[in-house]
Amino acid sequence: MNNSFHSRLRAVATTLAVALTLTLAAAAGCDSRKEPELPSVQEKLRETHIYGQSKLRIGVATNEPLMGDLRNGQHVGFDVEIGRYVAASLGYEGDQRLEFVSVATEDRIPSLQGGMVDLVVSSFSITEERKKLVSFAGPYFVTTQEVMVTSRLKDKIRTIEDLRDPAYKVCTSGGSTTEAELEKRQVKALVVKDVGDCVAGMREGRYDAVSSDETILAGFLASFPKEFEIVDMPFGTSELLGIGVPIGDPALRDLVAFFLQKSYEQGRNGQASPWQTAYNRTLGPWLRAEKRQPQPLDVPKLVDFDDKAPSK
Amino acid sequence: MSASPTATGGPVPPPRPAVPPDLPPAEVDAAGWPAGVPVAEPAEPLAVDAEPGRVRWDPAERRARASQSFWTAVVGVPAIFSVLRLGVEAGGELQTTLLLVANVGPVNLLAGFLTTAARLLSTGLVAVFALGAVLAVSADRLPPGTRRRPLFARWADITPAWVVLASFLLALLTWPLLYLPLLLPAFVAAFQLRPERLHERTLPRLLLIVALLAGYGWLLLPTLRDAWTQGEALVLALLVVPPLLAVFVAGPLPGMVIRPLASLTEVAVLSMLVWAALPVISTPVLPLTVTTVGAENGPTEDVRGHVVTTDDVNMVILQERGGVRYVPVDLVRAQVLCPSEEELPRHRLRVHDFHIEDSLLEGMGRRVRPVHRIDAACRAPG
Repeated sequence: MNNSFHSRLRAVATTLAVALTLTLAAAAGCDSRKEPELPSVQEKLRETHIYGQSKLRIGVATNEPLMGDLRNGQHVGFDVEIGRYVAASLGYEGDQRLEFVSVATEDRIPSLQGGMVDLVVSSFSITEERKKLVSFAGPYFVTTQEVMVTSRLKDKIRTIEDLRDPAYKVCTSGGSTTEAELEKRQVKALVVKDVGDCVAGMREGRYDAVSSDETILAGFLASFPKEFEIVDMPFGTSELLGIGVPIGDPALRDLVAFFLQKSYEQGRNGQASPWQTAYNRTLGPWLRAEKRQPQPLDVPKLVDFDDKAPSK
Repeated sequence: MSASPTATGGPVPPPRPAVPPDLPPAEVDAAGWPAGVPVAEPAEPLAVDAEPGRVRWDPAERRARASQSFWTAVVGVPAIFSVLRLGVEAGGELQTTLLLVANVGPVNLLAGFLTTAARLLSTGLVAVFALGAVLAVSADRLPPGTRRRPLFARWADITPAWVVLASFLLALLTWPLLYLPLLLPAFVAAFQLRPERLHERTLPRLLLIVALLAGYGWLLLPTLRDAWTQGEALVLALLVVPPLLAVFVAGPLPGMVIRPLASLTEVAVLSMLVWAALPVISTPVLPLTVTTVGAENGPTEDVRGHVVTTDDVNMVILQERGGVRYVPVDLVRAQVLCPSEEELPRHRLRVHDFHIEDSLLEGMGRRVRPVHRIDAACRAPG
């Protein structure tokens, strides 16, 4: 009696197990034929305004040595290299498919809004004000505000207080975060179009000091190492540089952020990341402190062809 | 089934006096068996404790027939598929199909087929063998003369154990890691490995089972945690449930289940094969490339497609969106290999750095060549 009950129980358990295994196998089969739920890079790319475009236009500066500069007709600099990496990731590689457009500091937002460029990689600080007008992917660099003075004044201008002295003419570029920061600290600054104009003016004796991002100033210092000196001042604000994207194209912003994150992860795993290569080739030797790629913000989760590759 | 003798020259059971009344005469004629021939006993030494059933003709004859049809299917199906694929690959165009036939060698075709269809093939075999063994062991328990042995049971009977083992090995290497746990109950069912085989006493047996399951859980714990946070319920079920089922899956089924299960699974396996064969037929035979074409210093164009052949004059490209392009070799500026969108992963989970959608073979391959670069040209629209 007990034995028969046992064998019956056993038979029911086996039946259930067989049925469940078959159900699971069927579920697995259906799952393997379903469309993937995760958004892919390719799918996002189809949503962007650049999809199908034969050329990608990236707005860069042409007068910020080390960041964005024009040398023998070639665009060079850290921003240019980052732009090249993002463009190649988006499918635009080589001169035939990638065009760098010179964009002045004050024209960065209008050129994105007007559709003159698809992306802006030009020491573009991420601010709340600007976020209302354009989208940002990044940050891809964290820099601080610094002041560069002519070598003869290096002992006289040491503090922000010194800058307030009307005897010294302080110059900065229009539409930059530096301009706003100086205003906040009641430093009267002469506003010109680009930092390059300030430097040219200083070399002609028209200005005494220039305030801008550490990266931009390091570029000019690299060009004229004997004429200028960077003074470390406690502005206390850090500038997060981002890649500007038209506000109406969230898919493109997501993709750019995704590729910045990819580079960030490569660097974190100890591999040679595109960011690190760009940094070493341009800014690296000229900055006083070693910098690392900051972690990009608001990175979407996308799947790509190389997702199955081993992570280490 | 695995333990059954497979040679056709085994001992023939002693004759029985009667023919089952429901025997269709046409089948007897087809087998070439004279009327009024005695009924043989089943050739299942496995079923020693079962009541002897009745079979309709000589087991040796039956085995030979079943074996023939089995091997015809194993060899014939890939061959037919390979040729069908060329037609699909060519976009249904006769001339393009002929171009492909002229340029794709039979060895390439078969190798290409095996790389894409090994998964399907092993799935079909594993399903047949596992179900066959379950049905066979259940049919042995039935009262004699009730019905024919189910088809899968007969297939499982005549297949040598090494073929079954080889199918499971092929599945182990080619199935995605996510589905590998399902292989466990299938294996246990195919070889009818009851938990009693682990240890004759209950307590050590239970301890062994718990230890094995704990080891499995420990191996998969990080993946299970990730699957939980990502809300992947099916993945969780596929990883957790099958090993538990493996404990219960071996053994005979109740008599009333056998008939519906046999017919249902026969239809299911057949439709599964047809359903899964469609993507295999439409999987390309040739690798996907993007070829940059253009004169020196002139504008360039990217041609996305499969290179059929290259000679001194032309490179023949079967374009992805259709049509054949003959590109002069002098104009080819660059060429890159591209992944296709079907290769995009569907889950974001790993088992000890092996992606769960990779098979063991693929996972090992990725360790040999870990860096994978997607060329910019591959992103461009086709």
